[in-house]
Amino acid sequence: MDRRAFLSYNAAVAAIPLTSVGLTGLADAAAAAVRPTPIDFKSNLPAQGTFPARWICGSPSCMDNTDPPVHVHWYNAHTAILRQNKAYSYEAPFAPLYFGNDRVLLLDEGFVQLRNDWDLRGVVDQCIEDWCKRNDRDPASLELLVAFSHLHDDHYAATNQFADRPNTRYMGLTHEEMVGFWGMTNYPEERVTLDLGGREVLIWGSPGHVISEFAYYDSYTQILYTGDMFYRGRCYISFWEPWFDSMKRLIAFCDTHPVTHVMGCHVEISKDGQDYAYGMTYQPDEAPVQMTVQQLREAYAHAQKITKPGIYFTGTVFLCNQTRGTTTIDKNPYRYS
Amino acid sequence: MATGRAYPNGNPALGYNPPGVRNTDSALPLHRGKPVVHDYACDGPAPGNLAFRWTYGSNVAAKNRDPRVQVVQYNEDTFVLRQNVCVHWEAPFTYLLFGNKGALLIDSGATANPAHYPLRETVDAIIARWARMRGRSKVPLTIALTSGEDVAQNQGLVQFADRPGTTIVPRPLELMKRFYGLGGTWPAANGRIELGDRTIAVIPTPGTHKDGVTFYDPYCDFLFTGDLLFPGKINIGNDRDFVASLDRLKAFAGAQSVKWVLGGHIEMMFVPGKYYPRFDTYKPYERILEMGPAVIDEALQYAREVQGKDMMLIRPDFVLFNGVSPDQRTKVWPEGVPNINAPRPF
Repeated sequence: MDRRAFLSYNAAVAAIPLTSVGLTGLADAAAAAVRPTPIDFKSNLPAQGTFPARWICGSPSCMDNTDPPVHVHWYNAHTAILRQNKAYSYEAPFAPLYFGNDRVLLLDEGFVQLRNDWDLRGVVDQCIEDWCKRNDRDPASLELLVAFSHLHDDHYAATNQFADRPNTRYMGLTHEEMVGFWGMTNYPEERVTLDLGGREVLIWGSPGHVISEFAYYDSYTQILYTGDMFYRGRCYISFWEPWFDSMKRLIAFCDTHPVTHVMGCHVEISKDGQDYAYGMTYQPDEAPVQMTVQQLREAYAHAQKITKPGIYFTGTVFLCNQTRGTTTIDKNPYRYS
Repeated sequence: MATGRAYPNGNPALGYNPPGVRNTDSALPLHRGKPVVHDYACDGPAPGNLAFRWTYGSNVAAKNRDPRVQVVQYNEDTFVLRQNVCVHWEAPFTYLLFGNKGALLIDSGATANPAHYPLRETVDAIIARWARMRGRSKVPLTIALTSGEDVAQNQGLVQFADRPGTTIVPRPLELMKRFYGLGGTWPAANGRIELGDRTIAVIPTPGTHKDGVTFYDPYCDFLFTGDLLFPGKINIGNDRDFVASLDRLKAFAGAQSVKWVLGGHIEMMFVPGKYYPRFDTYKPYERILEMGPAVIDEALQYAREVQGKDMMLIRPDFVLFNGVSPDQRTKVWPEGVPNINAPRPF
């Protein structure tokens, strides 16, 4: 909504006689009082869903980008996946939005802080409103949980946009607050269950990229969301031992639970395995964000052979073992002898 | 007389020097019969300045509304153009020089699409305006690149493909050598581009690119070094050539007066030794473009230091990358250089 529309919008609201406002208000309250039939998130699992054939992936000229600031993709009727526009931030993280009967979980808040630069809050509010309209709910009755995968600013920058949102809780920006948010006492081994109202999300620690990171498993779509610890791109492994242990936990989880997709926060590889260098704002031939359990297992098998720092390609992802400060994949194309 | 009363000092809506006028406030001569011939001979560098801050992108690149081509006039015959950082992160500089017989465009930007980067339109407008001021109907244009292979400098060339009265220096190395008359003598001899009383010297400087050249303008005393030497991350293509070229450049600068070395990009910050990463579209703490001639000596000294080694080396005004990735990082900080972190504009 631009400034002009904003002003006229308010004027229109003010023009409505007070009595009718009171009446509609009462009608709304009455509708909310009747609790709608809860959505069944427990049968016919996994819930089917689709990823888009193509995500927005930047443009040759950033200032001529015509894509929306946030690409909203409804994976299915109760699951949205958001992606930040590359012309708003090159990190362009993916952020799932899971709807339950009582609450909504937003994982990750992108890399732009201010609402007038990048209105994530407005987009999320709109998603919640759309979902409520489709399912005959009152948006005010839903609690929003604003959480993030790990403690890096390209994943929580926009958190403050939700600070004044009613019926909202957001994760703090320290390790203790993050662990406390999910009520964990034994990080990272402990696995907790978040009930969104009939829809359960399993959460456990997944350190390695950073110490403060979680894996999220949605029991409805059975998507395993692995954050920056495992994604299709350069997995910067800062701490090898914790990372390897986290991989073991992921594999053990996949052994005992059905997983439809493994999903990371970014994509930095083309469909034919070409690396998109750090910071690029245009990835025209981007690989899909979702990966299979098999690809996770292959990466784990590959990781078992790694003994030294370095960059290893598993066929799906680059494992950058303790190399972030010193090495990269890209080469100077103009070298000659 | 009514008009005279309404506009006692002249109607501002009217152009300068309408036909038949006898008096004018304009500094331009009245009823000029012949084109203005400028005297490019002067003691020392021609006066001029880069008085504007370069556009530096924005936090959200999609919302940037700066001009796509920023034009800064150094003096009346010398223009510096910069591509908007949010159109292309390389944000290359393009130089437009005028002489009595023609104009020279050095480099052509990183974007081919004229809707995104209207270089041709901008250059045409500058030339048309300049020609009007000088009373010329034709200004032949030569387009030369500091490196034909550099995609950060050769992309705009296609916009000029069908331009009348335009000579484009061919991009393939052999053809380019022949154009400058350097077929047998590359890289030892220098070529020249004649603009009419302003003769631009062409100095072969391979090193970052195998077809790299540097241009010298004896009017402003500028060296246009492109990717060879600029305030940023210098990716050496061949260290032997790089040292040899800097050596030749040093000898050349010793024989001529050099006011500034002007490169093709800026990547350094205004704090010493700090630089922006590749692909950055927001660079609010950029260093200034111009470098003093002493930078050639410094570059030569440290080029010798990295020669034969795969390493990067940080200096206050540039960083050398030899045989390593352009994203290479180092923990080695140059001795005696203050280590200051620019605040993060976030």
